[in-house]
This record gives sequence, structure tokens and C-alpha cells, in this order.
Amino acid sequence: MQGIWSGTISFSLVAIPVELVKAVEPGRISFRMLHSEDFSPLARRMFCPKDDVMVPPEEIIRGYEIAPERYIPITDEELESVSPERSRTIEIVDFIDMKEVDPIYFDHPYYLVPLKGGEKSYRLLAEVMGRTNMAGLAKFVLAEREYLVAVKSTEGALAVTTLHYSEEILSADDIAPKAGTIEAEAKSRMKKSIKTMMADFNPGKYADERREKLLELLKRKAQEKAPVEAPVIEGEEEEGPIDLVAALEDIMRKVKKSR
Amino acid sequence: MSRTFVDIAGKRLSLSNLEKDLYPSHGFTKAHVLEYYTRIGECILPHLKDRALTLKRYPEGVEKDFFFEKRCPSHRPAWVKTAEVPLDDGEPMTVCLVDDLETLMWVENLASLELHVPLARAGSPDTPDSMVFDLDPGDGADILDCARVALILRDLFSPLRLASYVKTSGRKGLHVYVPLNRRETTFEETKTFSRAVALILQKNYPDLVTAKMAKGERKGKVFINWSQNDASKTMICVYSLRAREKPIVSFPLEWKELERLAERGDPEKFHITHAEAVSRTEKTGDLFREVLTKKQKLPHL
Repeated sequence: MQGIWSGTISFSLVAIPVELVKAVEPGRISFRMLHSEDFSPLARRMFCPKDDVMVPPEEIIRGYEIAPERYIPITDEELESVSPERSRTIEIVDFIDMKEVDPIYFDHPYYLVPLKGGEKSYRLLAEVMGRTNMAGLAKFVLAEREYLVAVKSTEGALAVTTLHYSEEILSADDIAPKAGTIEAEAKSRMKKSIKTMMADFNPGKYADERREKLLELLKRKAQEKAPVEAPVIEGEEEEGPIDLVAALEDIMRKVKKSR
Repeated sequence: MSRTFVDIAGKRLSLSNLEKDLYPSHGFTKAHVLEYYTRIGECILPHLKDRALTLKRYPEGVEKDFFFEKRCPSHRPAWVKTAEVPLDDGEPMTVCLVDDLETLMWVENLASLELHVPLARAGSPDTPDSMVFDLDPGDGADILDCARVALILRDLFSPLRLASYVKTSGRKGLHVYVPLNRRETTFEETKTFSRAVALILQKNYPDLVTAKMAKGERKGKVFINWSQNDASKTMICVYSLRAREKPIVSFPLEWKELERLAERGDPEKFHITHAEAVSRTEKTGDLFREVLTKKQKLPHL
């Protein structure tokens, strides 16, 4: 698997060479947008409604909207000037108990793969963290963004999960109903009915049904009917480089004569 | 499921279901398929070497469903050579490289009857080794019409000092190859050149040739599919079996033979079976070997 990043993971005196790879592959089925008349795949263009024209890429800039119709333009260079330096290491600053982390903080999972020379310390770290259910917290720059990440152990491997910053988490204060008294009997009834439905977490049990049905549908359609074909875009007037076309025309005349 | 173990070049391979009838109307089993590819190995392997293989698998035989597999199956033996190639969206994909007989046997054990390869090698995916003209007869046209077009192409290239080579597709068409084998060649060049050639033929032989992809334009004509000259496209490899009723292969022909076949006028005579392929290559060797080595430059670009 292609690495997204490579460097070291370290804390105190330990430094393990590792590579970051993705841990999930979303099974989303995507579609191309086609022109219904001739099945040409469609392209997105930027359009200026005021001038009623398509805008070429070199005329497009970014602006931050501070009020309706009021923007602060910002250049690529300015954006780059505030981007953090690319990380060489995932430096663990604290170890925490995983139980303390509300899953709402979990953003995106990756795996760490040990690189040459790091296998032994990698195994040791993964095993100890796994046994104690501890996770290391680190700051880490990936694709120009600084993330808070949790490094934890998953079945003998080290996994990295980017965490949301606390200011990104929307408060549940307004969502939780105001405190009030609940009868003990209702509580115990609820507890009991939950208990009867207790099961082990077995993610394989819950398949993405829409995806399966969609794949089934696509398979059936592929068998029933040949796929539609996009036309090849060809400029009729332009036959090719002038010299080449002239040379070919010349030979063609001779070929036809000799036949 | 029955299993047979074989050792090839010191590598152990587990072959399954050798008795499976892959061409049921001809009693041609997986064992026969493996035997064919073993015997043609010396000829086909140089043409598969270092190219990202697209497997076209027929696990239940040619009369049942098939599927394309571009990714090299993850359950491959450790000794199967692979390469990483970028997909359209930039994500890399691991592909199989069939560089030796043991890997060829392994992919055939997966019932990958048809072997499709790109015109470029995996290490230089933007450099086509040859320019190709995929001659595809529309409804009402046949391989004899393709032969006429192929001979016109030959006569067009020869004054340009470009040697060309022809093979049957193993289905209804012919493939004309112009070897290039120069590091400087790009797909943009081969596409520009082949398109100009296709348009010239369309202009001069409007009743015989079309350069347009649209199915409706092809009726009674030979479609010169120049757009195969693209990094993302693959061609059926020379000597590969085709998954049709009979075990017929994509086979190279000498121009003289093509002329004779065109005069005889029997489309059936263009079909080279697996047995004929083996006996003919034993006599002549690989008629397509120059496609891999001859260095030629496209003029007037």
C-alpha cells in the first residue's frame, strides 16, 4: 500500500521509523455526470453570472466573505505563509486512557507501518499500549493542516486517529433535556430492556444494504444491455499537423493509383 | 475442489480444478489452457513482460460471466512481480507483471483466459513502445474488409520508412502495430499520428473506413480505432487466447499471408486455433518479436 507520509514516531528516548497508510477505504459508489443526448461526460466550469462568461483558471482567486458582497482577497502565497511545516515526527506528548476519549472526537483513522529497523520497538510499543488500553497524544502536520492525533494499538498494529479540536465539537448543552426526576421503576424497566438486546459488537453483521443493492442493480444492467458509449471528441476541421497530413495525402494518391 | 501442486523454477504453485471445462463446446479444460500457455510461453512472455496486466477472468468458462481485474489479486504468491501504477484519480494501484512462466501459470489458474496489456511498460507508463491501429469491423463488414484496410496502412507506412506488423485480434478484427521503441515517444504523438492516418483513410475510402467511434457510423465499414493509443487503454496480447466458442488466439501474420488470405476471401481462414498457434510458432518463431525491438521515429510531427 502506498504510504501517505513517512517519518518517525517518538517519545522520550524511543524513535521508531514508520509509514502512515490509510485504514479505511470508503465503499461509496460514485457516478459520472453525462449529457443525456450523446452520453458525453460533463465538465465543471466556473461561471461568472455578472459578465455571463466562463472564467478561466488564471482569473480565479480566493476571497473570504466578511459580510454579504464584501470579501478579503487572499493569495496562495499568503495561505502558504500560515501553513505549518511538514512534520518529520509524530512526537507523543502525553499518554492517556482511551476510555476517557469520547468517540465524538474521532475523525479519520490511519495505520502506522514499521519501516526497516523499527519492527522490534514497534511491536513492543503496540503490545504494551494494547495491554494497558493507553493511547499517545501527538501533534502532527498532514497535508498542510496540524492535527491532534491519538496513537493507539489495534490488534498488534499501531493506528493513528486524527481528533477533532475541542472548539470544533458542537456543544450538547442545548440538546440534552433539562434535568428532572425520573421514577426508579421507569429507569429499571429501561435498563432491563436494554439488557435483553445486549450483543457483542460484530461490525460484519451490518452491511451497507444500499451499496449491495446498487451493485446488484449495476451488475444486472451490465448484463442486460451494452453500456452507452461517449463520442470521441474530434475537431472535424483539424486533421493533424500540416506536414504530416500533406505527406499522407501525397502517399495516399500514389497508393490509390497503384491499386 | 481438486488441487494439483506443481513446481516451476523452484516455485510451488497450487493449481485448482484442472478438469474444469472452460470452452465447453470444445471440451477444452483448464488443463488444456495451462498446456497451451506453457507451450506458447517462450513467444508470449516477452510481450507480457513489464506490462501492467489486466486479467479477464472466466471462472465458469467462456459461456458464463467474466470479470476484468486490473488490481493484482491480494492473495498472490509472494514471488509474483508487481508494479504500482497511478489510477486516473491519482491513487496508486498494484498490478501484476507476468515476467515468467510461473506467473503466467498462476494467472491462468485464475482462468484469466484473455491477457490484456497496455502499449507502455509499467516503468515508463507514458512511453508507448508502438503505435497501434485497432481495425474493428462494424455490422455488415468482416475481417476481409479489415485486411484491405490493413494492407492500405502497410502501403501508406512503407514510403514513410515505417515497418508495420499485423496480427489477428482473435475475434473479428485485425491489429496493425508500428514499433517505435524510443524513449522520446509520447502517447500524444501516437494519438495525433494515428488519428491523422485514420482521417485520411476515412476521406479516401469513405465506403470502407470510418474513424468515428459512434456505433451508427460503423455499419458496413471498418472502424479504425486510433484512440487505443492512450496510456489508459489495453490491447489483447499477441498469442493470448480469446474467450469465444472455440479456443482461438490473437496471432501474428506475415503480410504475404494476409495478402493471400484477403484474395482467398474466406473469413474463417483468419482464425488461428491454439493448436495451430503452437505448431506454427515451432516453425517460424515469434513473428511479432520486432515489435518489441525495432526503433522507429514517427516523421512529420
